[in-house]
Amino acid sequence: MRLIDIVIGGLRRRKGRMAFIVIGLAVGVGTVVALRSLTATMEQEIGAQLDQYGANIVIVPKASSQELSYGGITLSAATFDLRQLKDEDVSRIKTIKYANRLSLIAPKLLGAVEVDGQKFLLSGAQLDQEVRMKQWWQVVGRVPDKADELLVGYEAAQKLGVIETAKSVGHESMLHSDHASVRQPELKLLRTELTLGGEPFRVAGVIQQTGAQDDQMIFAGLPTAQRVLRKPGELSLIEVSALCQGCPIDDIVAQLSAALPEAKVSALQQAVRARLQTVERLSRFSTALSVVMLLIGFVIVFITMMNSVVERTREVGVLRALGFRKSHIVRIFMIEASLISLLGGLLGWAVGALSGVLSAPWFTETGAVVKPSLALALAALAAAVLVGVASSLYPAIKAAKLDPTEALRYY
Amino acid sequence: MSFIVIENVTKTYQPNGAASRATVLGGVSTEIEEGEFVALMGPSGSGKTTLLTIIGAMSQPTEGRVVIDEVDVYDLSEERRADFRREYLGFVFQQHHLLPYLTALENVMLPLVITKLNAKEKRVKAQLALERMGLGDKFDRLPNQLSGGEQGRVAIARALVNEPPLLLADEPTGNLDSKTGDEIIGVLRALNEQGQTILMVTHNPEAAGATHRVLEIQDGVLLSESAASGCREAQSLMEEVCAD
Repeated sequence: MRLIDIVIGGLRRRKGRMAFIVIGLAVGVGTVVALRSLTATMEQEIGAQLDQYGANIVIVPKASSQELSYGGITLSAATFDLRQLKDEDVSRIKTIKYANRLSLIAPKLLGAVEVDGQKFLLSGAQLDQEVRMKQWWQVVGRVPDKADELLVGYEAAQKLGVIETAKSVGHESMLHSDHASVRQPELKLLRTELTLGGEPFRVAGVIQQTGAQDDQMIFAGLPTAQRVLRKPGELSLIEVSALCQGCPIDDIVAQLSAALPEAKVSALQQAVRARLQTVERLSRFSTALSVVMLLIGFVIVFITMMNSVVERTREVGVLRALGFRKSHIVRIFMIEASLISLLGGLLGWAVGALSGVLSAPWFTETGAVVKPSLALALAALAAAVLVGVASSLYPAIKAAKLDPTEALRYY
Repeated sequence: MSFIVIENVTKTYQPNGAASRATVLGGVSTEIEEGEFVALMGPSGSGKTTLLTIIGAMSQPTEGRVVIDEVDVYDLSEERRADFRREYLGFVFQQHHLLPYLTALENVMLPLVITKLNAKEKRVKAQLALERMGLGDKFDRLPNQLSGGEQGRVAIARALVNEPPLLLADEPTGNLDSKTGDEIIGVLRALNEQGQTILMVTHNPEAAGATHRVLEIQDGVLLSESAASGCREAQSLMEEVCAD
């Protein structure tokens, strides 16, 4: 027989009290686990959405932004001898220390083209990537996958007679987030042959009205655009998506600037910061709530253990009379606290993880799945034991300090 | 030097709100030899239990000293005194104080829990102690499955499992019916006959009659500090019970 056998015997006897502490701790730990796993999932979800919603760092040639404004007249710096961005710069981006944090690198070339005597802005990009980044795009037809195919913006398509000119379609401006709720008229491609820079092209798809500049543009693959615009190997800008959770945007910008000294690297700070702040606020809220829950757990264990000490005055006195040292008494109470809180932590984690998984549909938008994590399980157990042991320390010492002669008093 | 030397033991305390200290024990001195069976008698509040806790290394006297087997008990640190209790003393409490959630065998093993013996040695020692008390067939009973006399014998087995030189008993017959009380006194007497030194607090003259010597305490002082025969001593207290 060891000290732990005394503890287990005692716990068996006082099942109700033990259950009270276990449930108290389990509720606290469970709430924390559910909250943490939900917020972690929400953070991931928001992070994933932000990653998809596009670039947050834009790289442009330095001089192109050195525009001189005077009296409302902007003098373009185009006359300067510019160092243009090149295809090679993309591979240089991949050499920065935080390259693994970059979810997307989208090089683009922009330039004016003439089609049917009208001027349009042609954007050359990796179109599959572009579609992924611009989730609000709804493509009628398909995304081009051949060198001679084009994707045409809504208004450009109307001007070129690719689609019917709108009669009933009002100028509802589209909100990215609720594109699904806006009625889109059925579109039919009336014309698929276009000639750009003397080359024949096929229209693979048209983008539904977005209310943005994209409506007036024509999109092609990057090499195609470079050929049509006669700017082989050149880029106008590179969009980089680095918005993952806790990404050190400032460091990434600094590293990119160092890698591309002749380019101007700017983070779309405002949007990024605002979104990150929301996530951070959520996380702070759940941390605060966790602290409160653990504090409540602490108080529950503390009060119960204090009562237990009073109740067991006689028992402690007997053990002390039989030659148990004060340190043995402390150990008995601490073993008891550890066992109970381990059980509470385990139960709390199970309940919390389960309720996190079950309640996920109410808290997430994209149906992200809450995955119970091992780290969270270990943290929950550690937190429970820490709370249990810390709150039992004073009661245990108090028990050890009980007068052994209590055992000889009669009540 | 006697086995137990109690020298001028004084215990006073400061009652709440009182101006002066109250005296529980006012300078008690006596000696107990190895192999003696001594009764400590006195009315309620006379200080007999306080004296027992002081001899039992559980309560520091205000003045005086207790020497057991040449160890000055209150020279030891508190934790060492706990060790001393485990090695030198066995306690039998009035209400036995068996832990209700442990079996008879486990209760007897309690003092061994904190020794260096291995699991088997602990078990064997506890079994021997219980068998000695005639409870060889009740190892796995919980206290509430035992009769009052059996509980008392488990408590004695627990007190003896460490083979302590001194057994201290605090009103072992206190709340037992007379038949069970006799049973317990019989056990103690048999132990004494095997050489066990016993100091027993009691206010039962019949129990006191079983001892060699009675120390009578009143208002914190010993009235009769030595007596050749406990029976005679008890006789003077209550003639009719000491028939033989």
